[in-house]
Amino acid sequence: MSTDSRKKALRHFFQRVVEPLGFKFTPDAELADFLLEQEVKLEIKHGIPFCPCQPIRHDRARDVQIVCPCIPFHRKHFDAMKRCWCGLFVHQGVTDPASLPQLSAKDLGLE
Amino acid sequence: MKKVSMYTLSTCPWCRKAKQFFSQRHIPFDDIDYDLADEATQERIMRELDAEGASGFPFVRIGDQVVLGYQPDRYAKLLASP
Amino acid sequence: MSDFVKAMRAAEVAPGGMKTVELNGHQLVICNCDGTFYAIDRRCGHMNAPLEMGTLDGTIVTCAMHCAQFDVTTGEALSGPVPGNVGNEVPPPRIGAFLTNVARLMEHVRTEPIGCYPAKVEDEWVWLAV
Repeated sequence: MSTDSRKKALRHFFQRVVEPLGFKFTPDAELADFLLEQEVKLEIKHGIPFCPCQPIRHDRARDVQIVCPCIPFHRKHFDAMKRCWCGLFVHQGVTDPASLPQLSAKDLGLE
Repeated sequence: MKKVSMYTLSTCPWCRKAKQFFSQRHIPFDDIDYDLADEATQERIMRELDAEGASGFPFVRIGDQVVLGYQPDRYAKLLASP
Repeated sequence: MSDFVKAMRAAEVAPGGMKTVELNGHQLVICNCDGTFYAIDRRCGHMNAPLEMGTLDGTIVTCAMHCAQFDVTTGEALSGPVPGNVGNEVPPPRIGAFLTNVARLMEHVRTEPIGCYPAKVEDEWVWLAV
């Protein structure tokens, strides 16, 4: 199957997971496309679409926490940022994703 | 000039932006792509990240300060401060 | 392109449902996606399992055997079989050799797109061009 087909499938399934959580795909279409493409490559390599911006530790219990969409494992952090770490998803009300800084949980005083 | 080093991922667009921030200002930096490193290096990097409470990339060290994530304003501030 | 052939009554396939039919030597599955009908090859592009035994969600069919997925409007393969990652636990020796052999064969198995055929509804019948 082509990368484009797989990106299409991931979009369809991710949308259904993130919407009830109050998130949506980032309106930055170029960023979304790039990140999805990275996830398809990671899925080809590892069998799982991991987050392109978090480390794969080769520890199943920890790696499950970065399987996209990883929002449920980082709810407080991502809700505080109104975006997920890599920025593929943002809060549903966000129209200007570039205005959302990438801040660690530590920086947000969540740890 | 403060020493700049970073840990990044080859798949991460924010890591790419972090590298561009410094290269566009002609500031030299060391960097390692975690996902392309050998196992021993990966373990070492993860120990550093865990020590700082970091769970994502980019991980940028400017002098003795660590910045987690792509934060160009903080990079600029740290570079400008003594 | 072939002429349209009568396949089955539209009422035989409930919305969200699938039904298999054989026409001109082709085994096909008719899908009713919220009142719009599509026709695809019956055999999964992964390992040939019958797709009408799977599930239809919108315009995506999931094969019951290994969960490969296809877009019924185009035949594109959207998902390969699962699991994509089996972890690295070592299997018991007595089945280890068997699994190694299976893995060697499975490396050559691909999920291919499936055929997709023009479908229309006329006079309460589904017609397909096969």
